Amino acid sequence: MSVEPKQSTTSSTPEPKAGRTPVPVWLVVLLFILLYWAMIYFDSYGGWFSPQVYAPYHSTNQLAEYQPPSGDNEALLAGKKVYESNLGCAICHQNDGLGKPGQFPPLAGSEWAQGAPSRMIRIPLCGLSGPITVKGQAWNAAMPNVGSILTDDQLAAVLTYIRKSWGNTASEITPDMVKKVRGEVGGRAQPFTGDELSKVAE
Amino acid sequence: MNYGPLIFLAAFFALATSWFGFVLKPQMQIGQLSQTVTVPGNDTYPLNRAGLAQQGAEVYRANGCASCHSQNVRQFGTICEVVLTATGTNQTALIAALREIKAGASDQEIASFLTGLPKQLVIGPSRAVADKAVDSIKSAGGKTVMHIKPAGPELARGWGERQSVAEDFLYDSPVMLGSQRVGPDLAAVGMRLSDVNWHLRHLYNPRLEVKGSVMPSYRFLFEKRKLAAGASPDALVLSAGAGVPADAQIVPKREAIALVAYLTSLRSQEPLFTAPYSTATPPASSGTNAPGTNAPVAGASPTTNSTTTPAPAK
Repeated sequence: MSVEPKQSTTSSTPEPKAGRTPVPVWLVVLLFILLYWAMIYFDSYGGWFSPQVYAPYHSTNQLAEYQPPSGDNEALLAGKKVYESNLGCAICHQNDGLGKPGQFPPLAGSEWAQGAPSRMIRIPLCGLSGPITVKGQAWNAAMPNVGSILTDDQLAAVLTYIRKSWGNTASEITPDMVKKVRGEVGGRAQPFTGDELSKVAE
Repeated sequence: MNYGPLIFLAAFFALATSWFGFVLKPQMQIGQLSQTVTVPGNDTYPLNRAGLAQQGAEVYRANGCASCHSQNVRQFGTICEVVLTATGTNQTALIAALREIKAGASDQEIASFLTGLPKQLVIGPSRAVADKAVDSIKSAGGKTVMHIKPAGPELARGWGERQSVAEDFLYDSPVMLGSQRVGPDLAAVGMRLSDVNWHLRHLYNPRLEVKGSVMPSYRFLFEKRKLAAGASPDALVLSAGAGVPADAQIVPKREAIALVAYLTSLRSQEPLFTAPYSTATPPASSGTNAPGTNAPVAGASPTTNSTTTPAPAK
């Protein structure tokens, strides 16, 4: 369709051709500087593609430095785990230990939770039923014997967690105390009442 | 000139590099992922979901929950907290160390700080400052515990204790990370809201539990039955404002129960080596905490990234 203009072939200026021009030196230098910076950046932040290193950590060494010190809160963490597990206490008493108004009494600040260990251990071991006063309020308890399926270690851990969390500052409960109370309670099937608990020696 | 082979090579190179970067390398990185253990605690993590919760994951998927809810909490930094647990015997040296740490504090403030330990000594984003405080207290004969908490706006909202890592999704197929946050993140919703009945009421009508919620009601997961047939033990306990007639009851279908089982199974909160955190000390009596075994004081200079020491992966 289109007709080549005749002039181009007869023009005095030669047809332009692609030539070779060397890459400017500054560009080469810049590229090497960028490459160097990239290597340093990767070295400090890349974690060498380790699947264990997530931002904001930079390396497994740094991650190791940020591990919780061994022995740190281990007993409390074990108790927290039982407390918050699917079968645990948090279902009724909630993760914050405040319970539910009108249904489940609070553990935070509760005089029963921070009272004598021998009384507190009996509550999850056998359950609790009937009227009870917690933090000046009357409750009608209907707690099953959730602690009976736990081991002595687990029950001691979770009770210690309750006694030391949410502002509670009571003493630790050891597996030996739980074992002792378990022996005293024997095969008792029916839950305790508040009055019975008050009569248990401290 | 025939550029065909050159174009073919260039295209092949471009596709091959992206395949290496986006498919092969990630596969090598986390393709062999397996169960790990919690640190501290040494428990196996993660465990597979219970059967009902696995069915619930399908309900979650079918109803498109992932289009408004994510399951991925991110961490943007750390906060180091140093707690002074014991003063030791050299009171003068300790007070000198404290004066250095708490610059500008009067003698009276320092004296009152030393009563009623354990007390928070330093809190801040800088590991170097925390390490320095630990070192100076240690050389003065006192004892400290250091806690490290992940930080970031998402953690500050209470969406979890730590960031999400690949292990959290080990048994999920497909992984429902989500991409939009019309609603809150659900990575650890089972920890924050562990009440099954709350979830059921919230699914039936979100406005009953959360004022101004924009979540749609999932009423088709529930059945409206006449009370005449006898009250179901599963029926929701609803307040009078819920708009349910007095002669009717709302009973969750199996899908609703499964979905709630799935939601309460979302508990990616165990501390792992890849996402460390130590819980804040509850105000414990200092006897139980064995403060002697604490604090990564030995040679922990966080500014260096040297690769000389192998990671004591504990």
